Amino acid sequence: MKNILHVERAIKKMTQADLAGQVGVSRQTIHSIESNKYIPSTLLALKIARVFGKTVEEIFQLEKKDL
Amino acid sequence: MRANYLFPFSSRYFGIGLILIHIPIKLLWDHYYPNGYDEHMSSADSTDFLFSAPHLFFIGTTLMVLVGLFLIAFSRERVEDEQITQLRLDSLRWAIYLNYAILLFSLIFTRGSESDHILMLNIWLPLLFFILRFQWVIYRLNRSARSNDSDTNL
Repeated sequence: MKNILHVERAIKKMTQADLAGQVGVSRQTIHSIESNKYIPSTLLALKIARVFGKTVEEIFQLEKKDL
Repeated sequence: MRANYLFPFSSRYFGIGLILIHIPIKLLWDHYYPNGYDEHMSSADSTDFLFSAPHLFFIGTTLMVLVGLFLIAFSRERVEDEQITQLRLDSLRWAIYLNYAILLFSLIFTRGSESDHILMLNIWLPLLFFILRFQWVIYRLNRSARSNDSDTNL
């Protein structure tokens, strides 16, 4: 699963720590999600999408290997 | 949010303390009784009464190490989020696999009292494997995040 978290963060001029604070996880977790090392739970994906005012599908997309 | 049944973050320091306290006690015991626990337990004096001094000492020191390791292993991280929970579960599975692999290997290639010692080690070995693996993955995670900081300045 890929994501455009770092792009959305750059648009909003947010640091990883800012986003982590808003969704209640560690900065390391945001880093892991951005580098595709960790797939967030539905709850966390929804929280992240809400911060950026977008739907989950706009931020997280399935890749061919996930299908 | 589901309860995660973990001890508070600070309890790890209490756990480290227990293990550190256990070391001089064990050294003193070994100094006064160089033949060790087994010989005391097999002697006629100590078999008369279950809670003899060597046995009480054994229970005390084993409990100190065990409770210490338990507190270190199952205390919360500063931020106990879902990724940490996953790493915790992965490490626990890894520790159980490794422990049973070593246990099976040891039981095949040892016999008699050696097997008993290996079984005794299994009281705390899975906890030790778990702690080492869990702290290692957290260290790697932090290092990766730090190197990302220096690359992007974010």
